[in-house]
Amino acid sequence: MNRRRMLALLGISPALVTDPPTFARTAPKAVPDVSSTGGEGSITVMNPGIAGKLATRVPLAPPLDSLQGKKIYMVNLSWEGPDAANYLYGAMTEWFDKHYGTRTVVKVTAEGMFGTDPSIVKDILASKADAAIVGVAG
Amino acid sequence: MSRWAKQIQMQCKIPAIGIASSNIVHYATGYNFKYNNGMPIRYVSVPFPFTGQPRAVDVGYVSGKDMLTGQPLMTAVVNALTGPLTAEEMVAGAPAEEAVEPRLLPPDSEENLRQLFEDKEWTDFNSIILPTEKRVTAMLKGTSRKPDEVIKTINITGGARQLTVEKVAINAVMAGASPEHLPVILALATQAPFGNSTSSMANMIVISGPIRNRLKFNCGTNAMGPYNRSNAVVGRAFALMSKTAGDLRNNVNAWETLGSNLQYNSMCYGENEEALPAGWDPLHVEMGFKPTDNILSVGMGWSSIASVGASQSIYPTHFLMRDYMSSFCASGSAATLVMDPTVAGLLKDVHGFQSKAQLSEWLSQNVTKTAASYWGNGVIQSTAVPFALQGLEPYASWRKLPDDALIKPFTNPKAIHVVVAGGKVQTMWFVTDFSIRRGVLIDDWA
Repeated sequence: MNRRRMLALLGISPALVTDPPTFARTAPKAVPDVSSTGGEGSITVMNPGIAGKLATRVPLAPPLDSLQGKKIYMVNLSWEGPDAANYLYGAMTEWFDKHYGTRTVVKVTAEGMFGTDPSIVKDILASKADAAIVGVAG
Repeated sequence: MSRWAKQIQMQCKIPAIGIASSNIVHYATGYNFKYNNGMPIRYVSVPFPFTGQPRAVDVGYVSGKDMLTGQPLMTAVVNALTGPLTAEEMVAGAPAEEAVEPRLLPPDSEENLRQLFEDKEWTDFNSIILPTEKRVTAMLKGTSRKPDEVIKTINITGGARQLTVEKVAINAVMAGASPEHLPVILALATQAPFGNSTSSMANMIVISGPIRNRLKFNCGTNAMGPYNRSNAVVGRAFALMSKTAGDLRNNVNAWETLGSNLQYNSMCYGENEEALPAGWDPLHVEMGFKPTDNILSVGMGWSSIASVGASQSIYPTHFLMRDYMSSFCASGSAATLVMDPTVAGLLKDVHGFQSKAQLSEWLSQNVTKTAASYWGNGVIQSTAVPFALQGLEPYASWRKLPDDALIKPFTNPKAIHVVVAGGKVQTMWFVTDFSIRRGVLIDDWA
């Protein structure tokens, strides 16, 4: 869990010592007219939209050839609580075992969906898992 | 979830797929992929809701259909883990082209431009003032800041959009504000965007200090109603800049299932500082600012409960506040009480609360709810369960309690804020679950 983010919800922090207010400006009156800068009957306005930065593309990791005898690591993100994912993962574990002889590891992250949990990555590496499933969220 | 799957794939070099309900997969594989994650995570999808269901229902989803492909769910899982990569899934590197937004829109008729703004969801679907360059230039005279100064980068759903002074001025024009409102709206921009989650988040804007009177913010009768220009345009500007700077679009990256009508204005009002009982400090002074500072404070929450009628001697007001607050989730121990000056007077003169802090402390000590009710809230499950799993108190101990055990969920009285507003017409009050962040100095933006 990003604790700073969560603790920010508390809404309390030490006060800053600030200078006296400098807001003493005499504001100009609002501009009442619509400027016509285009053709007859057309106007030009400013764009409130802001260009979004596109994400750098990252390729997927290579898929498995088969799930036969593989180990699958299931990460329970505990979205709105851990129960639902545990129910799903329990049933999926039975299905994998029955159809592929797949071993599964189920872990509830202690950081929740909105956090980061490096221990999960370390655990996946240590367990020599072949694939991972993360969930469940809505 | 995509972030987790990406991290695992990059660091462990193994395939990682997501399981989510169909309502969120659209965002994960669409907007989030394009602007935030960059890795085309493979998903399978179960019906929604899956939380709150009996075990048998969730288990049944595993033998049911994948909501994305219509295949049996487990077939889809196997395919997602073993299917060969497509060319699209192997793309790496920076995008060939960046999105651009021209500073000026192509000339068009007023009718067409209004339609364009609605099509782009740049409005709250009430009429706007079209932001001509002349109007925006005039608006910018309300601040000494440079138009191209970046106030903050909005990245809540991706895109890393840079919100500049000029963009805020455009929104201020659209909202119907005047140049003298601009410093307030710029201060507000530091808190943008408004709440956006699958729940129905909303915000509260409180204006403090002498600027309330200079700009004629309503702090008295109908302070929270549609009866005042400054309250209206500043609150509206928050909605507009949140949508434009956040690129928030319905069912694209804005997905509050019920939404919140409060987002039209974010409950913008001023504190009636002149009517505070002696010893009760204004909100911003309690935060550590000077009384002469002009401060804007923004809170985030969901709910408010009103007293409905006048305070009664048979059951003191603070008892009823305590009772109503037990309905809130108490996330972050946060609450905000908004009360008429007459209520504040009663609480002080009749019930002995000599300061806001004393009332907050009493509520912190006396609001109780059962452990089951506390953990039964989804926000608490998402935020406090991780704390409990990490062993942080009191959450770890609370998680071990029997369902009917009583806890005091408002552990931090400093997170219970009290604001006095209203016109002394009725002994009326609200308790809310809004969490007010530290205020922003408006004068910094003049």
